This record gives sequence, C-alpha cells and structure tokens, in this order.
Amino acid sequence: MKFSADPNIVDFVKKEIYADGLEYTPLRENRVAIKVKPEELDKLAELFMKKFEARLIHATAVDLEVQGFEVLNIYDFSKVKERLVVILKAKVDKDNPSFPSVAKVTWQATWAEREIKELLGLNPVGIPDPRHQFLPHEWPNAVESGLTGGQYKFESGSQTKEMYLPLKMPIEESYQSLIPIGPYHPGVIEGQIVYVKVEGEQVVAADIKTGFHHRGIMKLIERRGYNKGVFVAERVCGICSAAHGLTYVTCAENLYDAEVPDRAMYIRTLLVELNRMHSHLLWVGVVADVIGWKTGFMLTWGLRERVMDIIEAITGNRVNYGIWRMGGVSRDVSQELAAKARRTVDALKEECGKLLTLVAEHPVVKSRLIGVGPLTKAQAFDGGAVGPVARASNWKIDVRADNPPHAMYDPKVISWEVITDDNCDTYGRTLVRVKELLVSCGIVSQCLDYLAKTTGEVRIKPKTVPAGAEAVGLNEAPRGELAYYMRASEKDSNLPHAIRIRTPSYRNNAIIPLMLVGSNLADVPVVMGSTDQCLACTDRVEIIDEKTGSRKSLTWDMLVNLSRRLSKQ
Amino acid sequence: MIDPIFTIVSLVLIIPIALFLGVIYQYFFRKLSARFQWRVGPMLRMYGDLKPLLGTTRLLQPLYDILKLFGKKTVVPEVSRKKLFVSSPYLSLLFAILAVLFIPFPGMPLLSEAPYSLIIASYLLIASILFTILGPVASGSPWAAIGARREVELFLVSELGFVLSVFSVAIARQTLVIWEISKGEQTLYLALLSVTAGALMLAAMMGKLHIKPFDMPEAEAEIVAGPYTEYSGKLLGTYYLTKVFMLYALVGLFISVFLPPLASSILWLPLYIVAALLILFLLTAVQVLNPRYRIKNAINWYLKVLAILAVVNFVIAVYIWLVL
Repeated sequence: MKFSADPNIVDFVKKEIYADGLEYTPLRENRVAIKVKPEELDKLAELFMKKFEARLIHATAVDLEVQGFEVLNIYDFSKVKERLVVILKAKVDKDNPSFPSVAKVTWQATWAEREIKELLGLNPVGIPDPRHQFLPHEWPNAVESGLTGGQYKFESGSQTKEMYLPLKMPIEESYQSLIPIGPYHPGVIEGQIVYVKVEGEQVVAADIKTGFHHRGIMKLIERRGYNKGVFVAERVCGICSAAHGLTYVTCAENLYDAEVPDRAMYIRTLLVELNRMHSHLLWVGVVADVIGWKTGFMLTWGLRERVMDIIEAITGNRVNYGIWRMGGVSRDVSQELAAKARRTVDALKEECGKLLTLVAEHPVVKSRLIGVGPLTKAQAFDGGAVGPVARASNWKIDVRADNPPHAMYDPKVISWEVITDDNCDTYGRTLVRVKELLVSCGIVSQCLDYLAKTTGEVRIKPKTVPAGAEAVGLNEAPRGELAYYMRASEKDSNLPHAIRIRTPSYRNNAIIPLMLVGSNLADVPVVMGSTDQCLACTDRVEIIDEKTGSRKSLTWDMLVNLSRRLSKQ
Repeated sequence: MIDPIFTIVSLVLIIPIALFLGVIYQYFFRKLSARFQWRVGPMLRMYGDLKPLLGTTRLLQPLYDILKLFGKKTVVPEVSRKKLFVSSPYLSLLFAILAVLFIPFPGMPLLSEAPYSLIIASYLLIASILFTILGPVASGSPWAAIGARREVELFLVSELGFVLSVFSVAIARQTLVIWEISKGEQTLYLALLSVTAGALMLAAMMGKLHIKPFDMPEAEAEIVAGPYTEYSGKLLGTYYLTKVFMLYALVGLFISVFLPPLASSILWLPLYIVAALLILFLLTAVQVLNPRYRIKNAINWYLKVLAILAVVNFVIAVYIWLVL
C-alpha cells in the first residue's frame, strides 16, 4: 500500500490556517512544515489552540550546528483536515538562544520546554516553571551540554536554593508533612519521586520529579542509522515495545516514498493490538495490586501470559519482537499458526470478558476507584492528556482513527471503535482500558482471519532516504499517543540528523500532581497508577558532560557522611 | 477440681502447641490463598528432585520465615526512642502468650477457670495490639506514624465489635469464666446467638488480623510496611511471632466462646481442628476476594455492621437471660 497525500495541502494550510509563514514545505502524508519567526511561536500557539482546537504534539529543538538552533512546535490538526500535522519551525541564533515560551500559553508544553532548556541550552522566555526536568533540581549549571557541535553561552543564573526545595517548603516543615513517594517505592515499580504534602491523610500539594532512568536512547539512534535504530527504539520500553517499533517504522517510511505490502500491514496491526492487550491486562493487574487485591493481580497476569505465548509463537520473542522493518515486517505468519492463534484468542476473549466485568463491578474496587483522581475534559485538554486518560475524560482522541500509523486500521476493512467514558476519574480509566482490551481482541481476530486465508509478500525493500527530509510518525501506544520526529542528515543518507521521541507517559505523568491534590493519601498510588505510567519511556534521554569533562566522584564513606549530616540538620 | 500439677504441666505445654498450631493455621492460610490465586504456595509434599535440598515438606514455612529474621542484623534507627522501640515487640509477644494461657485447649482448661478470665483474656489481647502501635510510633518514621494511626482507628472499631460479641454470650450464659462458657450446654437460642455473635467476632477478627479489606495499616503500596517499616531482624521476627500467637488465640477464643463444647474435652480435638480450619477458610475467602478499603470506608463499614449485628445480638442475649 502506498501512502497518499493531498497535493494541494500547502494551499489548504495557507488559506484555512495560517498565511504569513516564511516558507511552506509539504511533507509526506499531509504533514506541512512552516518556517516562522521565533517571536510568533506563542501567538501562533494561542491561535491554533483556541481557534482550531489543535493539539500540541510536542515542542522540541534541533541543533543545526553553525547555523544555530531550530525550535519545532508540532501540532495535530486532524480534526480540521484528515491526517494534517503542522510543524512550526523557528530558527534561533546561537548568540542569543531565546524564544518565547509556549508553556505560558498552554501548560502542557512545560516539560517539553524544560527539556529543550536542558538538552540544548535554549532559553524559553516566560516559562512558568524553569527548574531542571531530568537533571537534579540542585544541579549547578543551567545546561548540561548535549550540543553536537557548538558551545553554549546561555546562563540562566536563576537557580536559587528555594527553587529546588520540594514544593518550596522549608526543611523543618517538610519533616512533618512531606511524604516522598519514590524514587523507589513498593506502590510504583519504577523510579521517580512524587512529593506529596499531607495534612492528616489529605493531600494538599504535590510535585513530581523525573530523571532516574536516563539512557540516551535518542542519541543512540542518531548514531546507528535507520535500519539498526528500530531495534534501539523497541528498547525504549519493555511493555509497549511493539508500539515503539511501529511508530519508528511509520516515521522512517515517511522520510522516503514508501510502500508496504498489505499482509505486512495486517501483521503489524496484529502485533500492536496483541501488545495493547497484554499491556492493558498488566495495568489491570497493577492497579489491583496497588489497591491491595493480590488475587486480581495474579489472575490478570495469568491471562496476560497466554497473550505473551501467542506473541512468542508469532515472533519468537516475548518482549522485544525484532520483527519491524522499514517497508514491512521480517517474518510472515503462516496460515496454520494464524488459525491456531485465532482459536486461542477466542477462548481468551471470553475469559477476559468475564474476569474484567468482575473487576469492574466489584463493590470494594468501585469504592476505591470512583471519584479518585478527577480530571475534567478542560483540564485534560490544557494538561495535554493522551490515550485512555484523555478518553476517560470524555475526549475522543485516538491516533488510530485520527492519524493512523502504517498498519491496517481502515474502518472499511476492520471494524473497531474508539472507547470513551464520562466518569472522568480512575474508574472511568479502568472501564476505558477494559473495553479497549475487548476491542483489541476483536481487531486481533479479524487480522488473524485475514492472515489465515491469504498469502503474500511481507516486505518491500526501502529506498534511499533523501537528504534533509523530515517526517512525523504517530501511533496509539497502549498508554496513549506516541510521536516520533525524524530529520534526515544532509550529508549521510544512512544517518538521521535528529530524532525526537514524545512518549505518552511524558504527557500523562506531567498531570499526575494535578489529579493528586485533594485526594486521600491511600489513593495516591492508585492515581499514579491510573495513568499507566511508564517511566522508562519518560526518561529516555541522557545528557553527558562534554564541556568540562570533570567528574567529581564520591566514595561510599563520603556519601554516608553526607546523608548523616543532612539528616541531622 | 483439676490437679494443680496438671495445670502447671499444661501451662508449659500450651506454648509450643500454640506456636505449632499458629504456624499450621498460617500455612493453611497461605496455601489456600495461593491456590485461589493460580499459585502453588508452600509445598506440602516437595517435588522429588528437590527433596534433598528442601526437605520433604514445607509445612513449617511460616516458622522458617520468622526464624530467618532472627539470624539477620537488627537496625535501630537513631531518631527513635530506643527503649520503647526495642521493648515493644517483646512486650507485645509477652501479652499475646499470656492471652494464650487464658484460652482453653481441648483437654486443658489452663487458666481459663480463673474468675473473670474472659475479661482478662480480652485485656491481654488489647495490650498485645497496643504494643504493636506504641513501638512503631517510637520509631520516628512517617510511614510508621501513618500506619500506627490507621491501626489505632481500626483497632477502636474492631475492638468494639469484639467486646460486644463476646460479652453478649457472657450475658446469655451468665458467666465471665471462659471455661464455663466453653463446656456449657447448647440450646437452640444459644446456637442462634452463636451465629450472630460469631459473625460479629469474625468481623472483629478481620480487623485485628489485618485480613483484606482491612489491611490498611500494612498497605505496602501506600505506606511501605506501615508500622513495621523501621523494624528489622529479631525485633521484626518477634512481631511476626506475636502474630502467630495472636492467630491461635483468636481462633481458640472463637471456638471456646461460640462453639461449645468443642474446647472442653480432648475427645473433641479433631472437631476443634476442623472448626479452626473452617474459620480460617472463611477468613481466606474474604482475604482473596477483596481489595483493601480506605480507612474511612473501613470505619463506615464497621459501624454499619456493628450497629445491625450488635442490636440483634443483644436482643437475643437479653431474651435468653431474662425469659429463658
């Protein structure tokens, strides 16, 4: 299948959306890059969000070496025109790397701009929360150099001690009422800190700090090239690895004039939906565990094992499938295997249906979930919620329907629906995921039916990537919208110049403090769990000190002394 | 009258018996909940190839888990109030063992013949729980403080149910001596009272033993290990040992007060064990079927259940006392 684009898309954008851009470049699949002046970024953000209800996908920046930086704001216009994504590009000078912050217009850009500030040393003027995002708050430098070929001149000078005290509480007070959920806490498996200020058992303020999982995935892909990059991309996350693989190939295929055989599209859908099934089962188990229901945990994870068995039979692997290739997939699913898997899926669907209705109707579960972690639609829109969290706030967004990836989600061929719920709380999120799981079961059955009846090739050799091409790849991961941005190198047709990954947890984690305030301490892990957070996804960057090269190391005894001295204060 | 030498011998004997039975009860509890959850649980008969390594049975697995702790390093936090922190587990264990001495075992009346033994046993059980609260409060950890606070709230409501159920039987039978209750005859009305008061007692036991949905003092996902967060090594082992004795004592008290005459004669011993396992089965079923309540919901639930059951209880008890 070839992926078409509207030939008049630039005219449409000029006429309907914004006419005063400096330069318009049509990209593949109705994506348009517009060059604008940096001063206009915040005004345009306001225009796009208010007038067109466009969604900010990501804000990031690319280092163009001697030419300066390019700040990118990626907006989703799929409600205005089918598959339309607008990329605003503003060139920023290296001598004065400042640009107006979009975060002051829409709060959801805060994390992204804090990341830009850390990663490249740009200064978002007017950002409401200028602290470090991934580095420790008390890190002395404003920037930890990730520059590919420049030097940074930007000094913020604004890192005061008060800024990095959690919730700006004095230390004496924090001993009494500040509870750190993390970095390593039995309620949340992965590392992050949520500072919770309590009065009795009531949460009155909350803050979140990430940065315990830095691995430098984006940089790794930039050095490995397109073909090897897909394997690195899969390893961003162990649970939604299929989603990352599919988004990567979608994005890479958008760099050149790609063609993917139908059978490969079906296999991709099959794997992503199986992935979603086991991820949602895992989530139900985790929430059951967090509210203290070990039985629910064991039973859902028991069912999940059977999904994993199907995946293993199809790809040979349980976690990182290694099946994704540009232009198709590497392995075919034989007709016998498809028929056999179909029978397993049918039995599984029945059992899942029973178990999950049981979970959703259990009176104690309901009493623990209803009204917990409320998030209205307006809050979800401004906070930039994605995936089941947004859909549980009755906001109908689903990338599979709005802006499908290179897999088979055509409603003419596969019947499926987008699930929403108007409970706007953790119970709503549970219902959305439970229903989505059953929808995924249906999609998997339809894909297996197709695969059991037909044969065909599964891969078409990719073409050379043109120099300087740009692409955006979107996909609905189990946790929400996953976005990849790629820019091909000008010099080397095998290496990307830049890759940016915006994972769903990156958005949903940012709104956790919003949902926490006002809840009971007993509900904190439930609320945190309700976004199905994946911290491996959130903290995927690592910044290495290239400039000073000096690394101060502390011995074990020094660390112990330090901690004792601090605790006695 | 019973021979004083026999009493002394039985007082010495009951402690290992209580420990053994408590461990068996815990084993049963763990095995059963494992089977409910598609798990294997501690093995009753070990796989053949693992026998040389792990022994033929893991029936005493709960005991091994406790003994392991006694071989570990005990850490006492600097910020804690050390005397209270260190002595609480031992005092808690002491009171639990003392409570065991007041609860009859088939063929051994022990100290349950003493006047007011029902009141003494209740107070000893309360004292034991009190020291599981005081020690954590002295530890200086915020998790322990929250856990202890929840424990106090839960303890107050569950204690109410405990007292109401036990003493309604005492009113109906017109005695405060456990031994007399446990060998008393059964009539239709007394059996009816046993059902309602027994239900009330089961509800109270859930709170005392932290059976889900009432395990919020130890809710690991919320407050790490709750009261036991700062405890380690011997001190933690002592607390776990207290739990074993507590389980035995509560089950024993249940049988002797609500299911007479099962605890009165050695001939009833098989039925005594069956009854104990049935009670544990009920508790396990509740444990595996429920997630954890919030403390607020738990208190509401208790007050609702207590209000209904306690009124019914007292009507029956007073009717038996005054009319029959």
